[in-house]
Order: sequence, then structure tokens, then C-alpha cells
Amino acid sequence: MGRKLKFSLVVVVASLALVAAAGAALKSNKATTTLVFGASADPVILDGPLVSDGESLRPISIIFQGLVSLKPGTTTIVPQLATSWSTSKNGLNWTFNLRQGVKFTDGTPFNAAAVCFNFNRWWNFPGPLQNPSVTYYWNTVFGGFHHPATGSPGPDKALYKGCKTAGQNTAIIQLTRKSGGFLGSLALSVFGMASPTALVKYKADAGTVTPDGVFQPTGTFGTQHPVGTGPYMFKSWKIGDKLVLVKNPTYWGNASSPSWSRSGKVDQLIFVPIPDNAARLQALETGEIQGYDNVAPQDIPTVRGNSGLKLVNRPPFNVAYVGINQSKPPMNNILVREAVAYGLDRAGVVNAFYGGRGQQTNQFLPPQLFGYAKTGVPSYPYDPDKAKALLQQAGLTLPVKVDFWFPTNVSRPYMPDPASNFQAFQASLEKSGFKVTPHSEPWRPNYLGDVQSGNAQLFLLGWTGDWGDPSDFLNVHFGSETPQFGFNNPALFALLKAADAQTDLDKRTALYQQASVAVMKFLPVIPYVHSTPALAFKSNVNGFIASPVGLDPFWLVSFGK
Amino acid sequence: MLRFIVRRLLLLVPILIGLSILIFFWIHALPGGPAQALLGERATPEAVAQIRHDLGLDKPIYEQYWAYVRTTAEGNLGVSISSRRPVTTEIRERFPATVELTIAAMIFALSLGIPLGFYAAKRHGSAFDHASLVGSLIGISIPIFFLAIILKYIFAVRLGWLPSIGRQSVLINAEHPTGFYVLDGIVTGNWNAAWDAVQHLILPAIALGSIPLAIIARITRASALDVQNEDYVRTARAKGMSPGIVDRRHVMRNALLPVVTIIGLQFGLLLGGAVLTETVFAIPGMGSWLAQAIFNRDYPVIQGGVLFLAIVFVMVNLIVDLSYGFLNPRIRVS
Amino acid sequence: MSIAELEGQLVGPTVPTGGLWHEAWRRLRRDRGAIVGFIFVCCFVLAAVLAPIIAPYGPLDQDLALITKGCCPGPSSAHWFGVDQLGRDELSRILWGARYSLIIGVVSVTVGLSIGVTLGSIAGYFGGAVDNIIMRLMDIMLAIPGLLLAIGIVAVLGPGLFQIMIAVGVTSIPIFARLIRGSILSQREADFVLAARSVGVPRRSILGSHILPNSISPVIVQGTLSLATAIIDVAGLAFLGLGDPDPSRPEWGAMLTNTNEYLQSAPFLAIIPGIAIVISALGFNLIGDALREALDPKLRGRA
Repeated sequence: MGRKLKFSLVVVVASLALVAAAGAALKSNKATTTLVFGASADPVILDGPLVSDGESLRPISIIFQGLVSLKPGTTTIVPQLATSWSTSKNGLNWTFNLRQGVKFTDGTPFNAAAVCFNFNRWWNFPGPLQNPSVTYYWNTVFGGFHHPATGSPGPDKALYKGCKTAGQNTAIIQLTRKSGGFLGSLALSVFGMASPTALVKYKADAGTVTPDGVFQPTGTFGTQHPVGTGPYMFKSWKIGDKLVLVKNPTYWGNASSPSWSRSGKVDQLIFVPIPDNAARLQALETGEIQGYDNVAPQDIPTVRGNSGLKLVNRPPFNVAYVGINQSKPPMNNILVREAVAYGLDRAGVVNAFYGGRGQQTNQFLPPQLFGYAKTGVPSYPYDPDKAKALLQQAGLTLPVKVDFWFPTNVSRPYMPDPASNFQAFQASLEKSGFKVTPHSEPWRPNYLGDVQSGNAQLFLLGWTGDWGDPSDFLNVHFGSETPQFGFNNPALFALLKAADAQTDLDKRTALYQQASVAVMKFLPVIPYVHSTPALAFKSNVNGFIASPVGLDPFWLVSFGK
Repeated sequence: MLRFIVRRLLLLVPILIGLSILIFFWIHALPGGPAQALLGERATPEAVAQIRHDLGLDKPIYEQYWAYVRTTAEGNLGVSISSRRPVTTEIRERFPATVELTIAAMIFALSLGIPLGFYAAKRHGSAFDHASLVGSLIGISIPIFFLAIILKYIFAVRLGWLPSIGRQSVLINAEHPTGFYVLDGIVTGNWNAAWDAVQHLILPAIALGSIPLAIIARITRASALDVQNEDYVRTARAKGMSPGIVDRRHVMRNALLPVVTIIGLQFGLLLGGAVLTETVFAIPGMGSWLAQAIFNRDYPVIQGGVLFLAIVFVMVNLIVDLSYGFLNPRIRVS
Repeated sequence: MSIAELEGQLVGPTVPTGGLWHEAWRRLRRDRGAIVGFIFVCCFVLAAVLAPIIAPYGPLDQDLALITKGCCPGPSSAHWFGVDQLGRDELSRILWGARYSLIIGVVSVTVGLSIGVTLGSIAGYFGGAVDNIIMRLMDIMLAIPGLLLAIGIVAVLGPGLFQIMIAVGVTSIPIFARLIRGSILSQREADFVLAARSVGVPRRSILGSHILPNSISPVIVQGTLSLATAIIDVAGLAFLGLGDPDPSRPEWGAMLTNTNEYLQSAPFLAIIPGIAIVISALGFNLIGDALREALDPKLRGRA
């Protein structure tokens, strides 16, 4: 064969090979579907018990699953990693029958030993991690630790007693007293089950806690290896850049499982931190993200008017209120608190700053929750003259000076624009015989801590429910003496305790209705609105069902036309 | 030449010492002091005492200062309160973004400002000349953050021609070996990523560079006017040299010297303006980082960040000084 | 650093004589830029002074009923500049905001000028070690970029309009100090000074009666330009949230802070305060620039 011919043969074969390779490469580049979601900040850490903020809970609720979960869009409890459960006669022992054949994404099995490992891990948190700023939910629900450090509550105050296994697939949680709200609290994403192997291998508890309650991990569990059983698993996380989750290939559920256990549709979920609200909207319009949470009220008409976008409503389950710290006189005088109530133009604020999506309220509980009192609630319509009269009746000289705190640099679902609420309240209070001294602080890192330590006199705050029980609203806030509200009202405390212990639903409802009215007579706070937060998506994003408590099922999302 | 360099370097030492003292005392002057800042309102007297001991705050002031200098020289700038990461790590991640933005703004200012200045000087007294004067005055009268908001509104929100935030589109999976996104794209051969990074830089660079543009145009014009009337230029023209060559060889070269001087000073303006620009365009650089740190009372970040930027600024001015000495022999012997 | 200072480095500090003032005034009157600048400044000052009289509404008067349909109704016959997100009349807030900007500008420049001129005079007068120390101090201050220095000062003093004034004022100290010192140094070798010294006139009175008055014109020019910069820098600091903690205060920079959120729904809320800042700063810049040209003897005989 001539050299030329040999050469051309080589060229032909080489080019064929190249074409084939290119073709193969092209084929394997099957389009991966990705949903990019705009968060308002990075998660703090991907370890459930150590967080309480929505940005962390969002990915955590996708990676980890708990014994029970909530039906999407509701607060109805449904089975998840536990298929059924029962209580002992005395209500102290809860037996959970576990789902079989479930594996963590690192291949280790999910079983009763894993359940007890997780619970005991939280129960045995060392001193620094017992700080309520770090383990907020364990402290709130279970109220105590096995080896309490100075200042932390111990086993005598705790609701949790222990965890026992009965074979591979049955776990028994022991409580110290009856609790109606216990099961609901297990649906919280913070109590999701993590792989014991990973927790140990990647030193989940290793690290220090700064004096102001910030956990600085030295292990990598919560930053690089959060291993759970959920429909998506962790792929990568670069702080300030993006957090990437991919479908869990060994997930126990499939496309025909009930919606709360279904496997995921899109291949990848990416969470991008964009702190600025307007920037998130712009990113959505340009297509850099396909969805974000907490649409500002003034942007809702823009989203509605854009045919490429759609609005998804989150069922309202929150309350915004003006808080009163009664340890700062004259707030300890009921007449003054009533004057504040009459002096706030709450209707004006609700109509102006909630884009028509705020529901004026007369009590702390949202109407969707049982225990909401339909009758007998005292009302305090805006009446500057009455407010002035009450202040004079209390023997004070007008104007009465008050310190009014509000957060900056934040938009809460119940309070999209704190500065606007503040200014409107300031104006109406000043018409009602008060002199308002404004006091603002950035939400992160200090506002909550300062308010909770009792530094404010009047303050703007709110609450989004965590589980579908009035104890999450009323007991958490008014069930015991707190520096935040600065009052000691034994009658109210007793009423709320009795209500929480009551497991009969009708009796529980009645007691909570009584409590709700009592709160509005005592006025530790002045609630003014339940708002309907909204999320915005590209119009081709289907299947998203917003949860009232923020447990959003991202695995149901798919791209349509 | 060597003496010139040595002299300049020696001058550096007192400035750095002065800076470190200033920043050290500044941190201690911040409300509440470092101990209070860390503890916030959970400060019981015992906790405060403990923190003061842990941080070494109960030692005499000169010991504290020396400890501060030592740890800083070792490269330990503390840990950020908000992000729980070492300050040096955050600086390493965020500084390239600010540098990229600053360079882009400088390129914009120089590439538009110098030609504008020259042209105005050539057409001295014409309508264009007057317009350029007024234009540069308007340029320094517009607050950077206002210009940034307007640019964002017109080109990103209304027209959609350019992205509105960030350094790179989320969907682009690019490698970042250097941290300078445009450079990274080129180095890794990912032209898509490089172009995307450039697009994200355009609006912020224009906003940030608007003031240097105005100043550079003015200085160039003034300097070119001066040089134009110099004897050697008139001689060259009289000799019959073509105007183009006269411009390039004589006028430009000499007129540009003052511009070089102010580039170093402009850098300071740019660093300050970066704080505002990065905030409006949500660019994760040192400017927005410092702005957030001020809000969050993140003292380790404020301290480390300001010190770092001041040192960089001093270094840049030093380099500019030295290069000016290279370019202008008269300075070397002064 | 301002244009004047930079150009001053090219032109060099000069010693104007009495005749210069008349010529300067003549040139100013003909300079169109100066006239426009003067008009702008007059509008600004008049707005500030007359705000309580000419503002149609109070700056803090809210009318929540106007925004129940969402933010925010734009310009209308009842509200020429529209209303803001709390239903307050934007025009009134702009007029009252001029007061803050004027006071802030004047106080900042006064702080910077008085301290800077004092320090620069001391440095120039005594020379030697004193001069060295003061100038090194100025170098250190200039080593920190201007806005960062201001932010640093506000971090120490706490947020507030007064604190911002001090912070911005302090950042302009090195400029005035260097200006005065340069002027004194160049005049020290001038003939008339040597003559006075040889006759026995004490240094103090040479400084007071001759050198300082001759240095006034660059200081005035710089003062005007620094006023423009102060207005802008204070707005920038307020924009970052370091201003008055009371968000209802009608300060122009603070009024721009939240407008990022309303760009899509109410862009006029961002545009109007911004234009107000630009016009005020531009007015002072035009006057300062025209003054510099008018007072510059090197430009005598030029167009």
C-alpha cells in the first residue's frame, strides 16, 4: 500500500474515532434538570439540632427525614421513617414502628439503634452546645440535658427521659410527663435522623461555641458530610456561592409514594444566597434563579403582571406583634399597656404594608389553629383620645416616653418591612400621648438576642408556627417567666400548663381558647396581623406546595411547559 | 535610583507602624470594647472578666499592642463572628472580587478618560472642551450608589441587557483557580464563563469608575494643555513634524506623567467606592463584606479588613511612586 | 481627593495680589458655569431655609390611606413629587432634607477646614520636627481610603447624623492641612517675606497679616469643593445605614436606602432624592471650579 494511502486510511480512522467519541460524549450530556432557588442567606450549618433559622432548615428538611412528617401544605401529621406509633396507657412511653429497608446515603442502615443514637446525641450534648442560642428547639421542646452545665436545665426539668430499642425496627421514646404536643414537634426538621456512622466519623459535635452562641465546628459533618435518608443528598457547598443537592440514588421512596415521601423529580437542587430582596426578584426575572421565598408586598403586582412568573401562596401560620417588656416601667401597669393597644393604628399598618395579604387579628393564635377563640376576645380599636385618658388615669404626665425597638436589614414573613411598620406605629403612638425613642438593630446577629434578653421596652417581633399546636404559640411565649416579656403571672402559667397536658382534643381546644382570651386581657403583647407570605417562581415550575411551617417539599417540583 | 527606592521604602515603616497603632486603638475605642462586643447583653460581670482574661485584655496596653502586632504578623487576623471562618480565609476569597472590579473600573476610566482629555485639550476652547469640563463636574457630583442604582434600573431591570447582581451566573459551572473570574475563564479555556464574568463586571465598573473617569479626563486635559504650549512642542511643530507624531511622541508621553501620579490616589477612591458599588450589585467582595461587618458589629472582620486594605493601599501608592520615579528622572534626584 | 488639589499639584500654589480679586470677580460674572452653579446653590439654600414655609405638608405627616393600593402613587396634582412608602409627601421631604444636607455640609467642612488649616499652619510655621510629625500624621490618615476612614470613625462614635458630620469632616483635614502648609512653604521664600524679615517684622505677624490672607483663595476653593464632596459622602454613609437611627428623618441619603426595594414599583422614589443630591453637589462644584479658574493667575491672559 502506498504511503499516501496508508496515511489517508489513518486519517479516516482517526476522524471516525473522533466523531464516535464526540457522539458518545454528546449523548452522555443528557440534560440534567436543575432548580435554582434564591435563599436570603447561606445556611448556618447543615446539622438539624444546631439550627433554628429558615435558611438552614430548608436544605435540612430535604436531606434529613424524621420519624413523622407533615402532609404538604398542612400541619397534619403523617408517617415518615416511622410507619405507626402508639402510646402507653400513662402516656409516658411512645413506641414507634420503623420503616424497614431504609438506608442512609452512606450505605449504613436506618434502624432503631440509629433512632436512639440520634436522640441520645441531643440528650447528651456537652456544655457549650446546651446554649439555647445553639440548640433552640431541643431546649424548647425537651427542656433539659443529661449532663447539664451550669445554667442549663437538667433531667429533672426535661420532658425527655430516654430511648430504648426493641429489636431492629422498634424504638421507644420515654417521656417524663404527658405531652399533647410531643408528636407534632417530631415533625420538625431539626429532629431528622442522621447517620450515626457519619456523625461519628465526621465529628459532628466537635467544635467550640463563642460566647454569643455561635457554634464553630471543627468537624465536617455539618459542612461537607450531612448524611440523611431524604430524597436528595448533599453534593457540594461553597459559602457565599451555592449549595448543591442531587437526587438520592438509593432513596427508599419512589414516584408512587405518598407526596411527603415521594422521590424527587428534578436532578439537582441549587440554593444560592442573595441577601437583597430586590436582587432576588431581578435574578428571577433574568432567569438566574427559578424561585425564591418571601416576595416583598410591593413586588407582588410585578410578579402577577409578568406572564413568565407565578406566585405561590404560603398558608398563613404566623403572627406579628408589638411586644411589651413589663420589667421596664411603666409597662408593668395594665392601664399603660391598654393605652398602647388603643394607641396603635394597627388597621392602618395592616392595610398599608401587607399588599392586601394581611389579615387583621385580635389575638395571638392564627385562625387556622384550633384553640382560636371565636368569641369573648377584647378588642382595642385605634383611639388616641382613649389612650391619652388611660395614661392620665394611670397618673402619668403626657407625653410618656417609650423605647421602641425594631430590626433592620431583614424581611420577615410576618413583617416584610419592619421600618415601615415602626414608623407608622411611631406616628400613631405619638398622637396618643407617647413620645417614642426609636432603637434599631440589625436582625443578625443581635436583634433577637437583645430582645430576648429583655433590653427592649416595646419591640416589633413575630412568630411563624413550627408545628400545628397552640402550645407552639402560647406556651412558648407566655408559659413561663421570660426576660423578653418580663412578667410573672402564675394564673396564666398554670392555665397554659394545664392546657398543654390535656390530651383530649375538645378539652384542649376549650382550654386554649380560654388562654387566648386571657392573654388578650393581660396584654403582654399586642398582635396585629397574620400574613400570607408568598413565593415567586418561573411559570414553568410546577408542583410546589408551600407549607405553613416552612417544611417545603422541594422533591415535588418539576418543570412543565 | 537605588537611593530613591530605599528612601521610599524607609518612609513606609513609620506609616505602617502608625497605621497599626491607629487601628489597634480604634478597635479598643469601639463602643463596648471587644469583650462587650463578643458577649453582647449576656454579659455577666464574671463572663466579662473571663473574656477579658481569655483575650488578654487585662494585661497592660503595650503588651496587648505587642501581642496584636505579633499575631497579625503571623497572619492570624482572628475569626469572623458572623461566618465563623478565619478572617484571612474570607479575605483570600473576597479580595480577588474587589480587585477585579477595581481594575475593570480603572480600565474604563483610563480608556475613556485619557482620550477625552487629550481631545478636549486639542480642541481647547471649543464646545467639546466646555462640554467635557461640565461633564467631568457632573461626574464627580453623582453619588456612586445613585449611579449604580440608576444603571441597574435601566440596563438590567428595564432593558435586561446585562445581569443585575453577582459575579457569575449561577448555572455556569466554572473552575476558579485564581479567584479572578475573568482570568479563570480564560485560563481554563471556558470562554462562556469568561464572557459571563465580563458581563457581570460592566455595570459595576462604569458606576465605580465614573469619578476616576471625570478626574482623569480633567487632569489629562490640563496636563496636555500645559505641555502643548511648551517650547519643545512648538519647536517640533515649527520644524514641520506631522501633528500626529508630535502628539504621540511629545505631548502624550509628557502629559501622561501626572496621570500616573494620581492613579495610586485613585485607588483609594476606588476602594471606598467599592463598598457602595458592591452593596448595590451584591458582589461578594471586600467592600460589601466590610459594610455588612459594620452592621453586624463583626469586630474581627472590621479590624482585619481595614488593616489589610490600608496596607494594600500603601503598597499600591509605593509602587506608583517608584514607577513615577522610573518614568520621570527629575524626581529621582530631587 | 478633589480635582482642585490634584490640579493644584500641577499648577503650584500661587500668591494672588489685590488686583487678582477684581479680575477674578469679572471673570466669574462672565463664566456660564459659575452662573449655573450659583443658581443651583441658591435653589438649594433657599429650599433649606424656607422649607418650613413653602413645604406643602409636614415631612413626617403620614397618610396611610394613600398606599393601601400598594406603594406608591407617583407625582400628582396633590403631591408634585408623589408620596413615599409611608404616604408622606416627597416634595416636602426633599425640601426639609435640604436643611440636613446644608447643615451637614457646612459643619463637616468647618470641622475639616478649621482643624486642617490650624494643623497646616503650625506645620508650616514651625517647620522641622513639628512639621514632620504633623505631616506623617496626615500621611497615615490619607493611608486609609476616605470612605473607610469615615466608616471607622462612625463605628467608634455610633450611628447618627452628628457623628457622620464629624467623620466626613475629619477625613477632609489632611487636604486642608497640606494645602495651607504648601502655600506657607512656597511663600516663605517669596521676596516680600524676606524683605519683611530683614526689617525685623516677627514671624508671627508675617504669617498672620500676609501669608495666611494670601492663602485664602485656595482654601475657599477647596472649601467649596469639599462642601460638594461632603454632601455626597454623607449621603453615602446614610445609604449604608450609618445615619440617623430614626428612619423617618428626611435625609436625602437615607431616603435612597430602601429605594432599591422599590425600583420596580416606584422608581421615582430613588430618582428624585438622587437628583437633589446631584444638583446640590454640582452647584458647589461648578462654583468652586469657576472660582479656581478665576483666581488662578497662571490663567490670566488665557481664554
